[in-house]
Amino acid sequence: MNELDTALAIFAQEAEELLADMEDALLSLDQDPDNSETVNSLFRAMHTIKGSSGLFGFEPIVAFTHEAETLLDKVRQGERAIDSNLIAVLLESKDHVAKLIEHCLNANGPALPAELAATGLRLISQLNGGVQTAIQQGTGSADEKIFSEGGGEISVDEHWLISLEFKQDSFRDGIDPLSFLRYLKTLGDIKQILTAANGMPSGEAMDPESCYLHFKIAFQSEATKETIERVFEFAADDCEIKILPPNAKIGEYLALLDAQDETQVRRIGDMLVQVGALTEHDVEHALQAQTASVESQTVDGAKPKPLGEILVEQHVVQQPLIDQALKKQEQTKQKIASEANYIRVDATKLGHLINLVGELVISSAAMNLIVEKHGLSDASDIAAGMNALVNSIRDTALELRMVQIGDTFSRFRRVVHDVSKELNKDIQLLISGGETELDKTVVEKIQDPLTHLIRNALDHGIEHPEQRLAAGKPAQGTVQLNAYHESGHIVIQIADDGAGLNSEKILEKALANGLVKKDHGLSRREIYNLIFAAGLSTKDQATSLSGRGVGMDVVKKNIEALRGSVEIDSEEGQGTTISIRLPLTLAIIDGFMVGTASERYIIPLSMVDECIEMSANECEIDEIQHYINLRGRVLPYLRLGDYFGNTTANANQRESVVVVKFGQTEAGLVVDELHGEHQTVIKPLGKVFERLKGITGATVLGDGTVALILDVQGLIQAAIDHKPKALAHKPALRRV
Amino acid sequence: MAIEVKQQQPDSVHLVIDGEVSIYNVSELKQALSNYLDTVKEMQIDLAGVAEIDGAGVQLLMFLKQEAAAKRVELSLARHSEAVVEVLELLNLSTHFGDPIVISADWKSL
Amino acid sequence: MAKTIMIVDDSASIRQVVGIALKGAGYDVIEACDGKDALTKLTGQKINLIISDVNMPNMDGITLVQEIKKLAAYKFTPIMMLTTEAADDKKQAGKAAGAKAWLTKPFQAPTLLDAVSKLVLP
Repeated sequence: MNELDTALAIFAQEAEELLADMEDALLSLDQDPDNSETVNSLFRAMHTIKGSSGLFGFEPIVAFTHEAETLLDKVRQGERAIDSNLIAVLLESKDHVAKLIEHCLNANGPALPAELAATGLRLISQLNGGVQTAIQQGTGSADEKIFSEGGGEISVDEHWLISLEFKQDSFRDGIDPLSFLRYLKTLGDIKQILTAANGMPSGEAMDPESCYLHFKIAFQSEATKETIERVFEFAADDCEIKILPPNAKIGEYLALLDAQDETQVRRIGDMLVQVGALTEHDVEHALQAQTASVESQTVDGAKPKPLGEILVEQHVVQQPLIDQALKKQEQTKQKIASEANYIRVDATKLGHLINLVGELVISSAAMNLIVEKHGLSDASDIAAGMNALVNSIRDTALELRMVQIGDTFSRFRRVVHDVSKELNKDIQLLISGGETELDKTVVEKIQDPLTHLIRNALDHGIEHPEQRLAAGKPAQGTVQLNAYHESGHIVIQIADDGAGLNSEKILEKALANGLVKKDHGLSRREIYNLIFAAGLSTKDQATSLSGRGVGMDVVKKNIEALRGSVEIDSEEGQGTTISIRLPLTLAIIDGFMVGTASERYIIPLSMVDECIEMSANECEIDEIQHYINLRGRVLPYLRLGDYFGNTTANANQRESVVVVKFGQTEAGLVVDELHGEHQTVIKPLGKVFERLKGITGATVLGDGTVALILDVQGLIQAAIDHKPKALAHKPALRRV
Repeated sequence: MAIEVKQQQPDSVHLVIDGEVSIYNVSELKQALSNYLDTVKEMQIDLAGVAEIDGAGVQLLMFLKQEAAAKRVELSLARHSEAVVEVLELLNLSTHFGDPIVISADWKSL
Repeated sequence: MAKTIMIVDDSASIRQVVGIALKGAGYDVIEACDGKDALTKLTGQKINLIISDVNMPNMDGITLVQEIKKLAAYKFTPIMMLTTEAADDKKQAGKAAGAKAWLTKPFQAPTLLDAVSKLVLP
């Protein structure tokens, strides 16, 4: 404890004792108001505290105790009578002094919290005028009281609190405080004003040309803080100006703060200036104070005091406003932080990058090939390392183009709203899985099919409210859009809780159109999926929206063009769910390379379930029935070589089966060779090959040859259909 | 500006200030009035002739009051002119001085 | 008693406009065309505010302020300088000399009257 601390401790203790005595004296004065000794002790208490506070530079205590002392002196001189009112005010003053002492001992700056300052101001006004008013005029009207400095309390709720501390040179600079006050009166009502000559020396030391005047003003006005501040603009150099907005204004400022846009993080000061709670000058001033405090604290790199704290200390703004501004700032920061993570990039640039990455993947494969071919064991480690890097570059590059499907989903809100109105139906749209990501190019292309399917659901699926109620369902129908990832694909579901599909009707129509034969043997699911066949609409009457018999087949074609598939499932009376499966990206896939004869093919790895040697025990092939028995699982199969007409010459070639899966369907692809995983950059086939069955694209291999990318879905279908064209001469496979 | 001594007794003085009480003459006024404060027990200042008073002038009155209190001199301000009353009301100092103020019906606005 | 304002500017049109505005608001106006002229017209009469341009022939505004501060009868008189945005160094010099009120040119009459009334109400 250094000497100053010791002195402070003594001061605190002394003050505490004096205040305790003061309280006792005041209470006894209630009984014995004429005891001059008691009054003397009150006077001495304030006087002593004032004196010692002055030593420590505790200006707020000095200022307040001075007022109390002055009053008590008057009482002592018999100029003022003491009564229970005055005793009450003095008791409160005593408490106030205790608070001031506590503040000065604990706070760093001399500035008082607004609340404390307001209390002080009110008490001073009561000490100075209130009582005297009561003595001179009795109880006058409220107006009179205010006019005569009397009992009117300074209400910080409705009034601006303006504090003016003129500097000594003011008069010499031609700055007369009176001019500004007169001008201020043109902007509103000065409800209360306290004029003090704080620190005015006595006797010779007082220079009458120096200004010692300080003012505290309760001002009622509709003017903005800026306008009020501008009243004193010419005094800015000669005066400490503090303007505290009325508490009643806080709500307004808070609302304005809340409404501030969140597109950029701004400084607290700027935010409060914008709403009008602060002026530029306030902020400048506080910043100077901040800088000064940093400079004065040269020791151990003390942190600068937060600006908000300084502003509150300087009585130019209330704490709640600072709190709110800080909160808002934090919100904005977070919002921007999440937004700042995005950079807008020209999609073509991105496309170019992804193409280059594709080339890089191919080059990397070529390099691996050479390294292997020449048995460069030295280089293989390096090649492997580079391969891994290329892989991650590829993944990252593809991710760049990934967007969330949520925005696309949200657009359908409008469609659902408009259409349900048009159809006189009550339909809500529920969206889930909006955060699921997929390639932007896929998103763009799925828009139209999705629109069509949703319109279908609205039009054909959801019934009119009366029908729904009759069916015991809520009048409001629900269409649900959902998305999720599943083994390298995104699945988008459109589900409605409408009438569902009538399999009889579909079948009836399909039979009429000659799509199926009488002994079709189709499962219910297969029947439902017939609605994707061309020329089949089950809606009895076509509406303007959908159901002209074109549509579902087009939807299916569009989705397949994206190497996706669409499936429908329905429960009559309960609703329909359409699931669209799409590859996440159209550019590069992890492939599994297989070979027949000299040809090589790529199967998207995500569709490969497993690979087995044909000769293995757990796998039996039934060439007659055309199925594979894989550990008791019965699979249709397809010989790739036969299918593509490049039958191998070597009949002894050991064959392998690649089990592929697409959605609910699976099949075995019989191949000659398994080459393993291969990064595949998809090169679209030209228009000429568009109609080619079983192939979706091609890729360039490391050695420069071309491998075809298999259309797994089509091949599975071909296997199931057990009449692959190339195998037409073979006995037909029966469904098992 | 002029200070006129209207009445002087060993213990009391009655002064009249005329004209302007402003930054231009507060030094002079302070000097003169302080001298009286050192010699009397009672001082009355007649302000009826004060045509103009500014911030420095008001401050001087406040100073005189402070000095008088310290020196136990009974200081009273009397016959405030319109200009003085306007300023005292503006600054809410009427009760600070505690002197009775007589407001003339002729004054334009208060 | 009407308050008296002196306007010092070498531009006759500005003196004219300012003069009209001030007289219209109820002030008495004394005009001077430069610093020297102003000093010769400061002959002891009561002036409540001096409004002066910065750039003037014979004696510029800053020098005028310094000279006024030497005159016992006017040294405490508020001075308002008329300036252009660019003249910030002049502003600092002027403030140091004791001219605390500054008004940026060009201004319109209401702005001038508003500024003036902060220092001297009519």
